[in-house]
Amino acid sequence: MRRQLGQLLRKHPEGGTITMVVLISITFAVLTQGNWLSLGNLQSLAQLTAVLAIMSFGEAMVIATGEIDISVGSVSGVCALTFLGLAPVAGSLVALVAALAVGMLIGMMNGVFVAVIGTPSLLATLGSLFLFQGIGYAATSGFSFTATKAVRQQFTYNLFGGGDFCQVNTGVIWVLLSLVVLHLLTFATPLGNRILAVGGDWASSFSRGIKVNRIKFGVLVLSGILAAFSGVLDAAFIGYADGSFGATMELSSIAAAVLGGCHLAGGRISLLGTLLGAFMLRGIQSFLVLLGVQPQWYILVAGLIVVLASLADRSLGRFALGTARGK
Amino acid sequence: MNANDSRQTESGTESKKPLISMKNVSLAYGNFRALTDVSVDFYQGELVGLVGDNGAGKTTLIRIISGIITPTAGEVYFDGQKVTKFHPKQAIDLGLECIQQSIGICDNLSVSRNYFLGREPVKRILGLPFLDKKKMRETSAKVVHDFGLRDTVDVEDEIALLSGGEKQTFKIARAVTFRNRVIIMDEPTNHLSVRERAHVNDLAVQLKEQGLLVIYITHDIFQIHRIADRIVIMENGRKVTDVPRAAMSAEALEGIIRDGGRMPAKKGAAA
Repeated sequence: MRRQLGQLLRKHPEGGTITMVVLISITFAVLTQGNWLSLGNLQSLAQLTAVLAIMSFGEAMVIATGEIDISVGSVSGVCALTFLGLAPVAGSLVALVAALAVGMLIGMMNGVFVAVIGTPSLLATLGSLFLFQGIGYAATSGFSFTATKAVRQQFTYNLFGGGDFCQVNTGVIWVLLSLVVLHLLTFATPLGNRILAVGGDWASSFSRGIKVNRIKFGVLVLSGILAAFSGVLDAAFIGYADGSFGATMELSSIAAAVLGGCHLAGGRISLLGTLLGAFMLRGIQSFLVLLGVQPQWYILVAGLIVVLASLADRSLGRFALGTARGK
Repeated sequence: MNANDSRQTESGTESKKPLISMKNVSLAYGNFRALTDVSVDFYQGELVGLVGDNGAGKTTLIRIISGIITPTAGEVYFDGQKVTKFHPKQAIDLGLECIQQSIGICDNLSVSRNYFLGREPVKRILGLPFLDKKKMRETSAKVVHDFGLRDTVDVEDEIALLSGGEKQTFKIARAVTFRNRVIIMDEPTNHLSVRERAHVNDLAVQLKEQGLLVIYITHDIFQIHRIADRIVIMENGRKVTDVPRAAMSAEALEGIIRDGGRMPAKKGAAA
């Protein structure tokens, strides 16, 4: 029994996250007399989770290789501004492609620093964080970019976060699609095997002929694109964006990945877990709003949860390995 | 006649072209010279013992051969072709497999994923490459169990669960079951029991007899003297001795290593 439980945890690191999501949902529902589970709150939660989770998926892929990307918040901000700035003049589709291209270029810039020059990813992406936040503030200089009425009626705008499908925001379609694609990429393809190998032990991976730098470059580009996509989905939902758009989102995305069972040291990730981690963080946020607590407290509560999750993660991991060794 | 000349005649390789040829290879990290002007040839169907003390440059030498590091000077030829780009991928594609002490296994991956890392079997679905997990599982399970790993080892489980000796056995199993031309073993018998050690040494001889080039790195001159065709001794990043097994006794070779690469006794005897 212990042994089977251990094996289950070894193979499914998101097991702990699922348990926590269920516990948190029940607790929040009870404490808010059911309001937390109301249709309106769940719809809003779904949209918020989708936006955070797509960004966190990119973060999780970077974490899988043992690196980190703390520029995702700024990237999503700059790309949201690109999208809303271009949409009225060039149409939503062109604006979407342009925003994704900007995200890809920033990802490539991060990738060059990390994979070619050899800068630690924390520093390289810290640079991007400030740089693109600065560009975001400079471009808006106190104003905000708003989607015009004509833009809001465009099909592309509605398809990418601006509208609903079966009563939920279209962002939900994209998060589920991303989940399936990235899960298969990571766990069912040779590329995924190599991504995980690089995070587990880059020197060993290199000795097996893996192009380590190319893989690190690739995940940073992917992270840039996903951060851009997340920014577009959120900008389309909200309808306007200013220079602070996306600020501190990198913290939430790292927290979502860690809550979801991704090891910051690399080599072990779960995309389903990351989605649940994002849901948990957004759930806490909406719970605090329903309770009438000032939203600033969210950061404190989220921090506490992440600390507890990392402790639980360690002991669960030890338990899982311990049972297999027969100890 | 000095020791270097006798090698050519006694091992009968003068007519053959070397499979791997290193010419005046040096490697420096800033002021530190890890290898200085090393020239050495390796032939197909030969078991070469690469011996030397810690820091002699043995591991550096084989890391160059296996493409992990690029030399700062000199040339390396593989099967007559000059190597221009050093990357492990090149070496593996040329059929060179290196079993190293500290690297080669990703602890976070399963046994089967480690087994196929870098050359995963693929089945195409809608044209996209997906891992052929069934083949990965069955092939790796057969190989590791043929090599004597416990029946309770599940190839789907993380390789971190194996013991040090089992991991070493795994690396050897992986190296020899793919079709290769060169097997390099870097201290392959570390962490192994007496019986496992004998098994590894038998295996090295078998591989040589199958026509492979086997380069066997060790501290233990007595152990390698029993099985090698030729012994190369390194000291302070230089090649100091390169003799066929029959030319010198293990005791004499040990004397060279102990004296830091000088050959006073032998030189005196030859003169």
